[in-house]
Amino acid sequence: MTEQLAIHTERLTKHYGDVEALVDLDLDIPLGEIFGYLGPNGAGKTTTIRTLLDEIRPTSGRATILGMDTHEQSVEIRRHIGYLPGDLALYPNLTGRDTLTYFANLRGGVDWAYVEQLAERLDADLTKKVGDLSSGNRQKIGLIQAFMNRPQVLIMDEPSAGLDPLVQREFQSMLREVAAEGSTVFLSSHTLSEVQRVAHRVGIIRNGKLIAVESVASLRAKAIRTVNLFFDQPVDGSVFEGLPGVRDVAVENQHVMLSFDGRMETLLKAITDGYSLVDITTQEADLEEIFLTYYRGEQVTA
Amino acid sequence: MLATILTKTFLDRWKGMAIGAVVLGAMLLFGMATYRDIDLSLYTDLPEALRAIMNIPAEADVGSLAYGAIYSSYGALTLAGLALSMGSASIAGEERDGTLGLLLGNPKSRTAVLASKAATMVLLTAVGALVLWGAGLLVPAVLGVDITGTHVGALVFHMFAVAVFFGALSMAVGAWTGKSGMASGISVAVLVLSFFAVGLLPLFSGLENGAKAFPWYYYDASQPVLNGVDWGHVGVLLVGIGALLALAVVGVNRRDLRERTLGVTMVDRLRAAPLTKKLVDRLAGSARVSRIAMKTASEYQGLLIVTAYVMFLMMGVLIGIMYQFLDDTLATFAENFPEALLALVGGGDMSTPEGWFQVETYGLMAPIGVMVVTIAIGAKALAGEEARRTMGLLLANPLPRSKVVLEKTVTMVVYAVVVGVATFAGVALGSLLGGLGLDIGNVAATSLLVTLLGLVFGAFALVLSAATGRVRVALFGAIGAAIALHLFNAFLPLNDSVAGLARLSPFYYYLSSDPLMNGMAWGHTTVLAGLFVALLVAAVMFFDRRDLRQN
Repeated sequence: MTEQLAIHTERLTKHYGDVEALVDLDLDIPLGEIFGYLGPNGAGKTTTIRTLLDEIRPTSGRATILGMDTHEQSVEIRRHIGYLPGDLALYPNLTGRDTLTYFANLRGGVDWAYVEQLAERLDADLTKKVGDLSSGNRQKIGLIQAFMNRPQVLIMDEPSAGLDPLVQREFQSMLREVAAEGSTVFLSSHTLSEVQRVAHRVGIIRNGKLIAVESVASLRAKAIRTVNLFFDQPVDGSVFEGLPGVRDVAVENQHVMLSFDGRMETLLKAITDGYSLVDITTQEADLEEIFLTYYRGEQVTA
Repeated sequence: MLATILTKTFLDRWKGMAIGAVVLGAMLLFGMATYRDIDLSLYTDLPEALRAIMNIPAEADVGSLAYGAIYSSYGALTLAGLALSMGSASIAGEERDGTLGLLLGNPKSRTAVLASKAATMVLLTAVGALVLWGAGLLVPAVLGVDITGTHVGALVFHMFAVAVFFGALSMAVGAWTGKSGMASGISVAVLVLSFFAVGLLPLFSGLENGAKAFPWYYYDASQPVLNGVDWGHVGVLLVGIGALLALAVVGVNRRDLRERTLGVTMVDRLRAAPLTKKLVDRLAGSARVSRIAMKTASEYQGLLIVTAYVMFLMMGVLIGIMYQFLDDTLATFAENFPEALLALVGGGDMSTPEGWFQVETYGLMAPIGVMVVTIAIGAKALAGEEARRTMGLLLANPLPRSKVVLEKTVTMVVYAVVVGVATFAGVALGSLLGGLGLDIGNVAATSLLVTLLGLVFGAFALVLSAATGRVRVALFGAIGAAIALHLFNAFLPLNDSVAGLARLSPFYYYLSSDPLMNGMAWGHTTVLAGLFVALLVAAVMFFDRRDLRQN
């Protein structure tokens, strides 16, 4: 039932000449979900988004947003979406306020009080010319522009680019709020850590092919971490042998470093039983490592 | 470093250079072929005073006439334009793009960078000049025209020197201000001003020597195509080039590099001042973002103001007043004016007020005036937003693509009409003040026709912009088409057997009915309007079907 889906694609394919930018993409994203769209640079994330926006037309396959065809009914669709393009460009000679007024005029029905509220939350300066803003501050104007019509579907390409951590956090809580109100968010990114903080599910794309769709919880479990453990006395490395998910154990007196993928609970239970743990740090493996570990077999060479 | 900068600049520029060379070569071929087939005694029998003004030597032959008509003005302006744009791009352009800091991050002094840029400008201008020289020798060989006694090499060398002068001027302005817009703006203004000053000042007794104050004089006045290189005049240009480059070195070393910021305009100041804030916000702030057409209009208002001002005051009022000051002898000799040469500037009999205005205003300047505005808007309307990557955001709003095309067209039409009205008002007022007694209705008709002509080429630029998403293709394509079709219309009627083919050029439907004398030709108006609408429909269709570019 596509009517209940925010975004739906069927074998969506886009070729640029001989280059297969997107191959047979099948996606179903329900209403109210925050969907993270992950992949390395050049994987096809932006191609997917530009196809959804009808900026480019699929070579084959189709897509719908809120049940409407992305090409045939693109104008109607755009009444209900908010969009933040990747590598945002705005009109340098307009102030932030001018820019937002321009898009509000083109769109119609924008509540200006809400715009002010968004600007305040993101600490955006609307009086300066956009060309004089730093990239992070320019990004804020783009974010306000995407949120300001209270869209049912928000499509954002690398939205956190240039934002400082405080603003990123505010932005993430804005995403959670709109999702709680029933809006859908399609969020592309190349960093897992950013996406997993807000997304319910994550799709991973590489070389134009969707290679996995996972809930964030299961991805988190899959994520390999480098765990550093500090004890108050030297430990015996054999303690860690046979623990599920533990690999590459290196023991150096009181300090143990190991690779781990699994539930942290099991690891903690095993090591605190008999040893006194002083400190623990975990480092997330980057996306590339997860790909290499889990999806090596599934990647089809393009 | 010189090699690196030279290579990069060449790779950036070779397409523009190649297009310019091909167009100029084709024009020369066309012009020379025409002159070959007509009776040149028309020119050589002219009284000496007139020949001097028209730059026609007593022993005029096919070669010198063709070089004079094509190379000495179009060619020199093109080459100077090329050098000038390289000059403004060299320092100020890199500052605007924010890449100069990166370039100076290498262990090279500012002087060294500037020197490499200057050497690149000189070398590439020399390449352009060599290509023109080659074409200038090839064309007569192909056509079997004898060019003995014509100094093509000397002409091209003079062209090269004056082009480098303007390149150095724009480099110096850019080096001192860091503003590439100002650098090219000032240099273009000096170029245009000196081109016209050298052409017009000698017409007035007592002012002949005024031309010597302008750089163009040292290119043109010695008639290098007939007399060979005038080392005195070239020397003046070389000294000027040296001085300007020295000035550029001082300028670039003494100031802070600009950050990638925008200038503060008058409107910004007024918007910041509490007293004027409300009013200006309403007029310039919220009004310009009220719809796409208004936003587009605000981007080109500077261009419109300058163009409308030039058309109204200089090409209208001033030309009207000038008529009565003209030497009486010129007016009588004008009856013998060669039609073939006048065809290039729109034809017309200079002894009548109508003919005077046709030659001076409507023949060439009015179409250029309207097209400057329409082609700029047409070429940048869609492709410009794609190049700046704002089109995606614009089209994320609930608008069909056709709406964007039509909104931009609204701006183009309104602006073309403003230039047309300014021309009409200027000519009407000039005619009144100068006592020329032109029929106001006919002036209006001619102004309407030139507006439509400009819109046809603006719409052609829009079609290219919509179909390709590339500003340069649209800009050069439309300008190239306009020049080619203008020449088509100017030269074909000189030869009876192919005269009918001129109907294929939109220019034919502009002046062939002699609207200043005969008033409105509704049939021709309909053809131009129909062509405009057809091109507009094509633009909408092309844009609707295409993937947006991602730059």
